[in-house]
Amino acid sequence: MKSDTLKIAKWELLRYLTNRQYLISLVLTPVLMVILMSIPTLLTYFDKPRDTIFYVVDEMGILADLRAEISPPHIILKETEHSEDLASLIYQEKASGYFIIPSKFWQTGEMSFYYNKLNQEELGIIRTAMTTILRSHRMQEFKIAPDDLEYLTQSVSIERTALEKAETMDANVMILSLVFLGLIFTMIFSSGTMLMQSALQERRDRMAEIVLSSIKPTSLMQGKIIGHFLLALIQIVFWLMISLPAVIYLLKFPLFDALQASRLGLIFFFGLGGYMLYSAIYVSIGATMDDMQSAGNTQSLVMVLPVFSILFVAPIIENPEGMVSRFASLFPLSSPLAVVIRSVFVKIPLWELMLSAAILVLSIYLISRLAAKIFRVGMLMYGKTANMAEIIRWLRYRD
Amino acid sequence: MSGLKITRLCKTYADKLVVDHISLSALRGEITGFLGPNGAGKTTTIRMIMGITAPDSGSIDFEDSDSAKIPHHLIGYLPEERGLYKDSKVINMLRFLSGLKGMDSRDVTPKAMNWLDKFGIADKAHSKIEELSKGMAQKVQFIATILHEPKYIILDEPFTGLDPVSQDLFKAELRRFADAGATILLSSHQMNILEELCDKIFLIHKGKELFHGSLSDLQDAYGNVVIKLHLEDAADIPRIVELKGIQNIKQTGAGKLELDLVESANAQSILREIPSDIVLKELSLARSGLHEIFVKIAKEGRDEV
Repeated sequence: MKSDTLKIAKWELLRYLTNRQYLISLVLTPVLMVILMSIPTLLTYFDKPRDTIFYVVDEMGILADLRAEISPPHIILKETEHSEDLASLIYQEKASGYFIIPSKFWQTGEMSFYYNKLNQEELGIIRTAMTTILRSHRMQEFKIAPDDLEYLTQSVSIERTALEKAETMDANVMILSLVFLGLIFTMIFSSGTMLMQSALQERRDRMAEIVLSSIKPTSLMQGKIIGHFLLALIQIVFWLMISLPAVIYLLKFPLFDALQASRLGLIFFFGLGGYMLYSAIYVSIGATMDDMQSAGNTQSLVMVLPVFSILFVAPIIENPEGMVSRFASLFPLSSPLAVVIRSVFVKIPLWELMLSAAILVLSIYLISRLAAKIFRVGMLMYGKTANMAEIIRWLRYRD
Repeated sequence: MSGLKITRLCKTYADKLVVDHISLSALRGEITGFLGPNGAGKTTTIRMIMGITAPDSGSIDFEDSDSAKIPHHLIGYLPEERGLYKDSKVINMLRFLSGLKGMDSRDVTPKAMNWLDKFGIADKAHSKIEELSKGMAQKVQFIATILHEPKYIILDEPFTGLDPVSQDLFKAELRRFADAGATILLSSHQMNILEELCDKIFLIHKGKELFHGSLSDLQDAYGNVVIKLHLEDAADIPRIVELKGIQNIKQTGAGKLELDLVESANAQSILREIPSDIVLKELSLARSGLHEIFVKIAKEGRDEV
């Protein structure tokens, strides 16, 4: 039986590796990624900000100082007087609004802004500039030299040195762990979809019965899972080969140090576990469908399952020791992601890790068995997509 | 010697008994026709033989296997629902499927090329399946079934869609395998082919065995004598219809009749009753063929419901 599984895995592997479409997508995907990622930068480059006009009623006579403090050239400050028609002036000139710098500004540090359009970023620039002006005025008031101010307001700096058995991770290790996690989830998604299509193709090409007359359904299913795992691995190794030199030489990322400090064993155990769990789900769902378009509610829901675990990411980062984090790292559909993320921030107690691992392994066993049942019956049903009631009935079949 | 022995096989789907205590012995060196109307339980029985579905009760024994294990590598199976991976090359497809049957990959290529040559499609060895015509694909499926030289060959509707030349080729190869000692189970609705090819017939209806034996035994059990007449003058037909001992008359052309006799009737005495002034151009006596017997049984089955 073992060799049957390997025969199927080899067949799946060779079929894709000799498929022009797969090879093209293997090479083109990273290229497309680079293009996609550089689009925002390109857009900002071409999308120069338009001029923004503010009117200023300056009771203090400090407009020149303010202009000197503001560096972005697109913020234009025009002086004006108090008038009842200031609002209509703003509309007429399509200005963003007007400021009033009151005569008691040095004492209160308060000013008013009446706006037509509110842009937080530009408002922030003006606030910072006015703060600088106010601060330097007050320094003069107290006869403090700028150097003295720096001395007075200096922040404390802490030099960090991790002890040999330090529990916390440094930022590089954190980045590396998250990158691994991202890769694992990319694998789950990309090979999950491919697995589903492969099971579906088996039905569409009417091959299931011929293949199942020679080998067991579980061998066919496991062979497919292993084959697509290797395909996904090839894909990732290929991408890494392209991107690693860039990461090491261009970004000067201390990859080897970070690798040594990472909890690689934990990442791989939970990553692989998650992969196996989701693969079994995907391949059995593929066996219930006749084509991708006919996916019913059940199938669509299952297809987005991995996304649910991503919902836990924010709560885990916010409170890695909280209830939600603990639940997510025990629940098998989210534990692969949750445990790895938590381990970046806190040291998870050993018993909790063991419990998560045990639940995951048990779930893989149970779900694989259910998946094999669905797969076995689904493979031999031709011409239609199964609904939920049918799938439940299949689970009750003796074989 | 019994190559394949099935004993009291049963299978229930959703409380419906689709295979009901079927027992069958397919002998080595013989071709057994597996026959029955749609929904009779043929495919389910075949799937149980192949181990694709498990029986509720009963046993399936292969001569070459001392345990209950199915000797998959010794069986060539062509299911009714069949296809090939469309994006694969013919030769790769054959390598893969015979690999699953345990064939050494080095042996596959020369043998496969030999078979492709025999079926006149050697030039397609490196073509993709999707580039083949339906008939060509069927030849590839047939080659995949027999490439590993199985001792048991189970075929479900192997002749549908084949041209007469290819049909003859398939028949000749099946006969050759049987003569070499293979046990062949052949399910088909093409009665003329079954009549010509099968040594034994197994009739299944509503999951139950109706008949198991040779074609002549089947004709004895279910067939009638048929008198075929060609009258010179079609106006004489009503005078023939009046004859006693005939249960059914079929007009097959101008002046051509087929008289289906009642079971107790004697053909010779009926022939003597034909008025002497009726001029006969042709006269022949035959027993009803597999087709007529099958239709009769299928109809009777429907009437029972």
